[in-house]
Amino acid sequence: MERRNFLQIIGGIGTIAVFPSLIPTRLFAENGQMFVGYGKVKLVDALGKPLLAGKLKKETAYIFNYPFVGTPSMLIDLGTATQKDVTLKSEAGDEYVWKGGIGKESSIVAYSAICAHQLTHPNPKESFIKYFKKGEKTVSCSQDKVIVCSSHMSSYDPASGCKNLGGDAREPLASIVLEHDIKTDELYAVAVVGVGKFVDYFDAFGDEMEQYYKGKREAKAEVSVQTKTVELKKYSKEVIGY
Amino acid sequence: MQRRDLFKLVGLSIIASASLLSPISLEASSVSSTSGKDVVIVGGGFGGLSVAKALKKADKSINVTVLEKREIFMSCPYSNTYLGGMQGVTFEQLTHDYYAPAAKYGYNFVQCEVIGIDREAKVVKTTTGDFGYNVLVLAPGIAYDYTKQFPSWDAQKISLVSRECPSALMPGSEHLALKRQLDNMNDGNIVIVPPQKGKFRCPPAPFERTSMLASYMKQKKIKGKVIVLDTSDGTFAKNKAFMETWSDLYPNIVEYHGKAPIVDVDVKNKTITYKENEVDVTIKYEVCNLMPYNKVSPVIGMAGLQTTKNGFVAMNSTGFQSKTDPNVYVVGDCVGHGVPASGQTAIWSGKRASLQIVAQLNNSTFDVKSGLPAQAANVCYSMVNTNPAEAIMVQHEFVADADTGNINAVPNVPKPADGSGKFRSKGTGKLTTEWYNGVKRELFS
Ligand SMILES: Cc1cc2nc3c(=O)[nH]c(=O)nc-3n(C[C@H](O)[C@H](O)[C@H](O)COP(=O)(O)OP(=O)(O)OC[C@H]3O[C@@H](n4cnc5c(N)ncnc54)[C@H](O)[C@@H]3O)c2cc1C
Ligand code: FES
Repeated sequence: MERRNFLQIIGGIGTIAVFPSLIPTRLFAENGQMFVGYGKVKLVDALGKPLLAGKLKKETAYIFNYPFVGTPSMLIDLGTATQKDVTLKSEAGDEYVWKGGIGKESSIVAYSAICAHQLTHPNPKESFIKYFKKGEKTVSCSQDKVIVCSSHMSSYDPASGCKNLGGDAREPLASIVLEHDIKTDELYAVAVVGVGKFVDYFDAFGDEMEQYYKGKREAKAEVSVQTKTVELKKYSKEVIGY
Repeated sequence: MQRRDLFKLVGLSIIASASLLSPISLEASSVSSTSGKDVVIVGGGFGGLSVAKALKKADKSINVTVLEKREIFMSCPYSNTYLGGMQGVTFEQLTHDYYAPAAKYGYNFVQCEVIGIDREAKVVKTTTGDFGYNVLVLAPGIAYDYTKQFPSWDAQKISLVSRECPSALMPGSEHLALKRQLDNMNDGNIVIVPPQKGKFRCPPAPFERTSMLASYMKQKKIKGKVIVLDTSDGTFAKNKAFMETWSDLYPNIVEYHGKAPIVDVDVKNKTITYKENEVDVTIKYEVCNLMPYNKVSPVIGMAGLQTTKNGFVAMNSTGFQSKTDPNVYVVGDCVGHGVPASGQTAIWSGKRASLQIVAQLNNSTFDVKSGLPAQAANVCYSMVNTNPAEAIMVQHEFVADADTGNINAVPNVPKPADGSGKFRSKGTGKLTTEWYNGVKRELFS
């Protein structure tokens, strides 16, 4: 069924794999596509075993690198169903539709963990991006269950496509399109919807790519087959957030 | 009159319309157009560069020109860590070239000094020529007001004190001079004088500097104190967080005096005299960082804009259009909104102003109340320790103020949830650096 959900996304925008020119303009940004399909990649745990949707800790942020070897994304089972078919707007004014969470409860979401403001992101040393679960307070906005980048206090609502709630960001975090295999309960990342900041990110963090991924070229390679998914607090030695 | 002078200056006989006035000098000719969408920005600091980038991102057909008197950009934010000798912080980190963002976003950058503004003719006069505009954005930052603070000082004395007791609230030689003095200092006191009256640039900056220099003395084992001569009686920005840090980390170094107006400075004998309980007290210093009263840059006067009681620009409602002229916008430290004079606020105001300008140039409208209240519109970190790096923070929500009709800021100084119960933390120290790196990316990449 989740596969259907994914296909609905594809369906919603035509046969894009074949005819990219048929994608309605609302799925394009002025300078690039708002929907980019990448390789289908299985989410696995630290031991390389498939990560099962039903086994995800609720309201816990996990990190997996996608769509590139050096680009972190965040996976969360929000515990409750998300909104559906949310129309979002990029800073450039282009609209696109976020379909909603997946999994049994429609509660599993994934987003690029590169802040839509100025690219702050988790790395093995530290993360200034954090998920604030139910009841947990942030100074960045009055809501809980939010993703907050404490660099300049941008907050995002993961239950509505990571719409920007406060701070300096002017657009949502790009969302990672997931597929859920209901037979095996496995999760796959397949595409990015929204404004991925990957080019700017690689431009800005050359040193970091060198330090953690052997080099920029290596970090820019697309992830294939599978990607390791670990809890944010294990991915980054220190998680800092207000 | 301005208009006649202008003609004389360029030797043109007749120019029919304001837009045709540009280009009228060699340098200006490469950067002006008659598109009806000419935006001229005075000042390439935090506010001005933000407007330039945001305008070009939103509407490439707008012809944007930044007029800036400096050759290179230098940041005041994060500069206190440099003064405090924090490990890994270099002067280069505080600087950037202006050409990279101009090339990337397609705006014009002209290094020149603005020397006059003719609002009637819609022309900005500079040291390299004159620029016609449809919309003018003023982001020239602050100026010092020694004269108001020390009416008995003549120009020579002001020049001497500003050189020997560098304020370092405006980037450049002042910072380097202060750093040189700190590097060369003997045992003895550092005296810090925050602006003693009115609104000033970065309200926590003098106290962040106090912390950084106390940390410097501690690290270098310099015998002496950091003496703060303030007039605010302890109710300054993030005061509880700073006070807690000083008593924890620098109990024998930082000495804070509120209600201590400066009477005089003797740079020859390195003494400063202040009043305490109606009595003149004179103390010796090794290094003196005297930050005088702030006022808006003279550029605001050139434009003849109406100002508020405290001398900042009267703003139209909750937008960034000046009250005086719908074609003149103001962003950054000069605005009369009740918001802190901070770099992040300058960026916020620059982005918001650009939305309104784009709408104006495209004959549409922008609701200046939209997006208000703006949660976490300003976040300001202050480093309070260099080894280990630790910092505190304040966050402001911007709201439409029913009384003034302008924007007001509601502050909140939180403690980190690290269980220490303290305002400062190492995590916040790391965030301070991350904040600064992000701000540089915002302006330059
Ligand atoms: C020590 C210190 C620490 C600070 N720390 C922080 C911090 O941590 N966070 C924060 O958010 N803010 C901080 N600030 C505040 C921040 O620096 C200012 O609020 C910000 O620079 C204001 O932006 P602006 O665009 O109004 O002015 P500026 O950035 O000063 O830009 C004004 C520009 O206009 C140019 N100009 C002026 N007159 C003319 C003319 N006639 N012709 C051409 N060009 C002209 C100037 O050369 C300058 O480049 C700090 C300030 C200080 C002094
Ligand atoms: S980089 Fe995330 S809020 Fe600025």
